[in-house]
Amino acid sequence: MSESFTIQVADSLRRFEPNSPRSSPRGNRSPVVPRQQDSTGTLKTTISLGKTPTIVHTGPFYLHKELPGDTDLTGATNLMAHYNLEHSYNKFSGKKFKDSLSSFLPGLPGMIDTPGNTDNSSLRSIIEKPPIGGKELVFLNSSQLAGFRLHPGPLPEQYQTSSLAPLKKKQKHKKHKKSSEISIQETGAGIAGPGIGVVGEGGAGSGGESYEKKHKKQKRHEDEKDRKKKKKEKKKKKQKHSPEHPGASASIVTVFFQNEDSAFLGEAFADVIQPDEKLHGDDELAANRKRQRNIQKELSF
Amino acid sequence: MSAPLENLENQLELFVENIRQVKIIVSDFQPQGQSVLNQKINSIVQGLQEIDKLKSQVQDVHVPLEVFEYIDEGRNPQLYTKDCMEKALNKNEQVKGKIDSYRKFRAHLLEELSQVFPNETMKYRTSRGDDVNRIP
Repeated sequence: MSESFTIQVADSLRRFEPNSPRSSPRGNRSPVVPRQQDSTGTLKTTISLGKTPTIVHTGPFYLHKELPGDTDLTGATNLMAHYNLEHSYNKFSGKKFKDSLSSFLPGLPGMIDTPGNTDNSSLRSIIEKPPIGGKELVFLNSSQLAGFRLHPGPLPEQYQTSSLAPLKKKQKHKKHKKSSEISIQETGAGIAGPGIGVVGEGGAGSGGESYEKKHKKQKRHEDEKDRKKKKKEKKKKKQKHSPEHPGASASIVTVFFQNEDSAFLGEAFADVIQPDEKLHGDDELAANRKRQRNIQKELSF
Repeated sequence: MSAPLENLENQLELFVENIRQVKIIVSDFQPQGQSVLNQKINSIVQGLQEIDKLKSQVQDVHVPLEVFEYIDEGRNPQLYTKDCMEKALNKNEQVKGKIDSYRKFRAHLLEELSQVFPNETMKYRTSRGDDVNRIP
């Protein structure tokens, strides 16, 4: 019923159209269209015109396509759970990763956080222009190694590269914890000079680092002076309280010695000890006694 | 991490350490260090030979090019993995949202069509194999 109704409606429309098939060059015949195999399944009806126009329906509805097969895996499923990536996702999303490459590769020496474009060390350049390879890797013989004979001495400043950035960071981190140990470490590094393991520090050459070194040296000198003053004060206190040194005033040590041949009395001013001089204490007394014995021996001969 | 990758990582670390030691020797060279330098150069060649032997074991390891971009910028490559997973999750959520929206639209459309064209809708649903009595 519905099919005949649609055909009737189509016929009536055709009659009232200004461009009716009767005025067309082919009359009421449908235009010649090469039949193409319909692969989409959209054309579910074939209309045959002519003396007995018929409509052959091959499907219930226009544009009635066959549905694609049901797949188990669609975007509606939790793909993280499906591929067992939940643990990895939680690990990566929960943990805070530092942005720098050096945090991923802490063992690598040198400045690795700088972009590869600056020093022509990018991986992309290797992909775009792969180096020539495939040759056999052979050890160098003595004549070839002769080309690596170097002149002694340090490298010129233009070739000294600032390196060991991770070590610097570690030292800064230690500063916050133990400031005294840093100065000791760096004094050791400074004394070692451009030796093994310390080249980068020696070759840094930045203004901030030299200022820090001077500041540390000043601190060291001040610390040493303080220690010396404390030692002096302690010794003074000891000598004040000791019986061998009655006072800080000048003392004259008289030595009397006698010769068999001639009565000889001599006086020797062993030491005149001033209050500002260093006090050697018992050691000096012992030395004085030895000198006295030696002099006595000489005179006896 | 698989054993071949661990071996490769160890070899690369040793190689880098060799290079670092050569750098230290060369930076303040002393004549008595010439023999040591020659040994180090040969050890570098040996390191390259070892790394070359390991390349066959890691032929099937594919690295995305985007990771190289992260490394060239001096960024942590683990951030690439993290970004990838977040993008995948976001896309999954987007697609799930689209699918759910289309399902709701289909159900709503069928409901309205069944009110306006009850017979045609019933035919359609029987042709699709839907349960006619089920309310969409």
